[in-house]
Amino acid sequence: MRKGLLFVIAILVLGLALSPCVWAKSKTIKVGINAPITGDIPKVGEGSKYAAEMWLEDIQAAGGLDVGGVKYMVDVVVEDNESKPESAAKAATKLITEDEVLAIVGPQASSQAIPAGEMANNYGTPMISPWSTNPDTTKDRPFVFRGCFLDPFQGPVVANFIKDEFGFKKAAVLYDIASDYPKGLAEVFKEAWEKLNGPGSVVAFESFTTKDADFSSQLTNIINSGAEVLFTPQYYNEVALIVQQAHELGFKAPIVGSDSWGSAETVKLCGEDCYGLFFSTHYAAAGATGATKEFITRYEKKYGYTPDDVGALTWDALRIVQTAIENTGKLTGNLEKDRMAVKDALAKIKEFDGITGKMTFTPDGDPIKCAVIVRISEKGEFEFYKSACP
Amino acid sequence: MLNDKAASAARANSRFGWLRAYAADVPLLAWLLGVLVAVLLEQAMGEVLTDLVGLPKIPVLFGCMIMLKEPTLIPSALVYVAMIYGVPIILLGKLLARPANWIAARMITWPIVIPVIVHLVLLYGIMHIWSDLSLYRMLTLRLTLIAIMLTLSLNLINGYMGEFSCSHPGFMALGAYTASAVMVLFFVNDRLFGEALLPEMLGPFMFPLALVLGGIVAALGALLIAIPSFKTRGDYLAIISLAFLFIVKSLFENLQFLGGARGIKGQPDYADLPTVFCWTVLCVWIINNFVRSTLGKALNAVRDDEMAAEAMTVNTRFTKMVAFLFAAFWAGIAGGLFAHTVRFINPGTFDLKRLAELLAMVYFGGLNSVYGSIVGAVSINMLGEMLRPLALYKWIVIPLLLILVMIYRPTGLVAFKEFDVRKLMQPKRKPKNEV
Amino acid sequence: MQLFFQHLINALQWGSFYALIALGYSMVYGILMLFNFAHGDIFMVGAYIGFGVATALAALAALSALALPNWLILVLTILIAMYLTSFVGMLVERIGYRPLREAPRASAAITGLMIGIILETGNLAILGAQRIRFPSLIKTQVYDIGGVVVTNKKIMIVVVSLVLMLALNEFIKRTRWGMAMRAMAFDYVVIPLMGVPLNTIASLTFALGSALAAAAGILFAVAYPVLDPYIGITYGWKAFVAAILGGRGSVKGACLAGFLLGFIEIFVGAYLSSSLRDLIAYSIILLILVFRPHGFFGEPHSAKLRL
Repeated sequence: MRKGLLFVIAILVLGLALSPCVWAKSKTIKVGINAPITGDIPKVGEGSKYAAEMWLEDIQAAGGLDVGGVKYMVDVVVEDNESKPESAAKAATKLITEDEVLAIVGPQASSQAIPAGEMANNYGTPMISPWSTNPDTTKDRPFVFRGCFLDPFQGPVVANFIKDEFGFKKAAVLYDIASDYPKGLAEVFKEAWEKLNGPGSVVAFESFTTKDADFSSQLTNIINSGAEVLFTPQYYNEVALIVQQAHELGFKAPIVGSDSWGSAETVKLCGEDCYGLFFSTHYAAAGATGATKEFITRYEKKYGYTPDDVGALTWDALRIVQTAIENTGKLTGNLEKDRMAVKDALAKIKEFDGITGKMTFTPDGDPIKCAVIVRISEKGEFEFYKSACP
Repeated sequence: MLNDKAASAARANSRFGWLRAYAADVPLLAWLLGVLVAVLLEQAMGEVLTDLVGLPKIPVLFGCMIMLKEPTLIPSALVYVAMIYGVPIILLGKLLARPANWIAARMITWPIVIPVIVHLVLLYGIMHIWSDLSLYRMLTLRLTLIAIMLTLSLNLINGYMGEFSCSHPGFMALGAYTASAVMVLFFVNDRLFGEALLPEMLGPFMFPLALVLGGIVAALGALLIAIPSFKTRGDYLAIISLAFLFIVKSLFENLQFLGGARGIKGQPDYADLPTVFCWTVLCVWIINNFVRSTLGKALNAVRDDEMAAEAMTVNTRFTKMVAFLFAAFWAGIAGGLFAHTVRFINPGTFDLKRLAELLAMVYFGGLNSVYGSIVGAVSINMLGEMLRPLALYKWIVIPLLLILVMIYRPTGLVAFKEFDVRKLMQPKRKPKNEV
Repeated sequence: MQLFFQHLINALQWGSFYALIALGYSMVYGILMLFNFAHGDIFMVGAYIGFGVATALAALAALSALALPNWLILVLTILIAMYLTSFVGMLVERIGYRPLREAPRASAAITGLMIGIILETGNLAILGAQRIRFPSLIKTQVYDIGGVVVTNKKIMIVVVSLVLMLALNEFIKRTRWGMAMRAMAFDYVVIPLMGVPLNTIASLTFALGSALAAAAGILFAVAYPVLDPYIGITYGWKAFVAAILGGRGSVKGACLAGFLLGFIEIFVGAYLSSSLRDLIAYSIILLILVFRPHGFFGEPHSAKLRL
């Protein structure tokens, strides 16, 4: 036994002598990613992670991040929040206190972004949630920002578009009551539509619960209500099922969606059933130009599929963080001060030219940006159709 | 007695026997003092030592995360853990054994409250100092303590009563929503409930009341299940409670004044470490007393043989109802604390995955055992955090571990063990080696 | 009235999934008195295996001169996937249940639950996070019969599930193995002493249940062609409710309860409120259990439970 103990000690000493002592204290900026790698929405986590990897590659290719003439190495720390609120809070706290990140990007879904935002705000770390549409995420939290537009903007955009484009008077809505993004948007849309067409013009307001696969009872009611159009602000996996089942039940009117449709998966999962449908989103992949196109091509080349809106929004959020860090002009090395400086720089960003549109933050930390209406073409591509700005 | 000694001698010869033999005469008090010194040492010397061994930062959870992330740092992390925790605890525990034994022997003659308080104060001191170094440790610790309450209360049903209940996340939700609604309504300017109704200084006093109210609501919910399901014996509790879980989740999704799917955020930050610690101690103490009371023994009798118990004048239905409601009450309180720790709840928080997690903690730790519940909750929670660097594979490693535990110890790690405070605190003497 | 029939047809399809999955639970529960919480995930694995087989067969058909018609591919897919998935079921039994034969029943349920999590995560680790579209093997044909819309898929799903259920019923009623299973369900302590091999019967039970779950998975994928690693959780637990509602170990009961659950969910969603669907549907289940605490075909059993 004594021999064994000696052996262990020898190994430990050897390891200590060889361990890399230097890298720890070098000039590294860390950016945290708080993403749902496991849990209900792993695809969202994957998109965020890939976007972050691409961003890091860019920074490394440039030899680091240039802040006030000093080159800093950048490290991205990806933390899994298991798409659970308490795990998101833990992940955020870990990123803040253990990994000592300068800023956090994510979590994506509101139910994780709200508790994580609480931690970020309490401990003075800037955080951008690229995807969370719940007003509570950023409300009264100076350190928390978001990268996407809010429901109260998108709802009327869609309502107006349907009115102008088709001139319909009766609409139906099908949404997930257990998920806050679809639910919020569905309610805003209903309000906007009834403002345009008078009360009672939403003839069917049906809901289901997350993970449902059968929408036949709701769709049968919708068809029976005589709706001229169906609005369904759902995620792409549900969109595929809803559209297909609607067609199988004999629904022939147009189906319109929201930015959650904006994923290559929509067409992959939905197939021909989705051709010709419209939705509002941040950017149109098919007609993309400039930086947007470049991002999409690179992403496709690297990972083999067209990036989702999450990927694009995460990319933008990271670029915003990057801009803000650069704008601080100088990093003191004191984490607290630097975080404050980054937060101030974030709030000051004007007309940031992202791949999902130009944005400026309101005092609440919400961006003002334009939406586009996209049509799914007969080739299954997302074509730019119309643009709507606030 | 003789057998006991033979067993201990055999144990001493086994692989970790020397450790057992070494620790045999060290009382709990000495261990606690040792750990206290260790955490104080970390507070004082942690930074210096991390620099010395070349770690980037004080290892937050015993170096596990760093080791998994950077294999080259394994030796450094091991040295750190050994220097800060291992050596001081083992040495000091031994050194202090004699005086500690003397004190323990003294204290045990006093009213039981005094030694208990001394030990608890030490324990709290350790936790406080340990978690003082990092907010992440603090949050993990609070959630772990809450998990102990949940596990223990679920153990009451699944272990002590021997039924299979699936509704614990539902009780948690009832408690969490009630407590949050009360606190947010009265003390927070909020989107849902508008202006705060009471001055903020009353908050800390109302908080326990809100928690208890949450517990009561959860117990009322439990009554709804208990009435139909304890009429007969069988597995119907499993599906009735499962149906109840679906109902509760659906209810909160539809209650718009409680935020619906958006949930409630911004609970005041009252669930700090001392509060959670006190509630956990209270919960362990009361549940431990409950299971050791006549009613608790009756409960075990009901589990082992309902008919025989009935024949021995146990009112089986009443016993089961009381235990079930009691468990739900504590789940409700734990839910309230959970809501105020995470400071956000939505219906999705209390879903089937939470159920799987709670069941895993109960069965990992051990059925019918207060020790087991503590062990289960702490190990699953800590493992979940320590294995973070494994990302996806964490959810393969933890279930595998649980399967292995189930195969080799089907009732869990520390099952069917009584939690005797007096025995725990008493002085220890080295067993004589000659048989 | 035509609306009612429309809902009825929708419910028939939805109920057949619950019924098929519930059968697997019910058999394990009836014979071994155990909850197989990995069953929902076996359903998921079945669907994924089906996806693999269907893709391979379609590729094979496209490559070679073998002009396999699509319906034949589907039939082959179902059969092959059922065969393969039954091994998954046996593996689950071997790892998670056999070592725990003498343990408290709930411990085996927990190993099942954990195996389920491993299956989900393993799938995520191997196939990645993207969801999978099940190939559409049969072209959807929409028939409009007096305002009631039916598709060929719906008819196929209901017919295939009914055939499978009947086949299972016949198997249990008429074959020697079936008789052994029934005997085991009657008393799993004494029957093995009479020379019926308990382990073989247990494996067979898991294999049969898993095969049915695989069939359910593929039919599910035909109707709702979007697969992700977590589809098994919700349906698994809900089918578990159906299985026990049907009564201990009753094949008839599980089928009936599965269909009933489907009917309740669809009709509550259609006529009462789609947002309160779970709340009302499971309250109804609760009420049923209050009045029939042993399910539809269950008998009050006073057998001492092992714990």
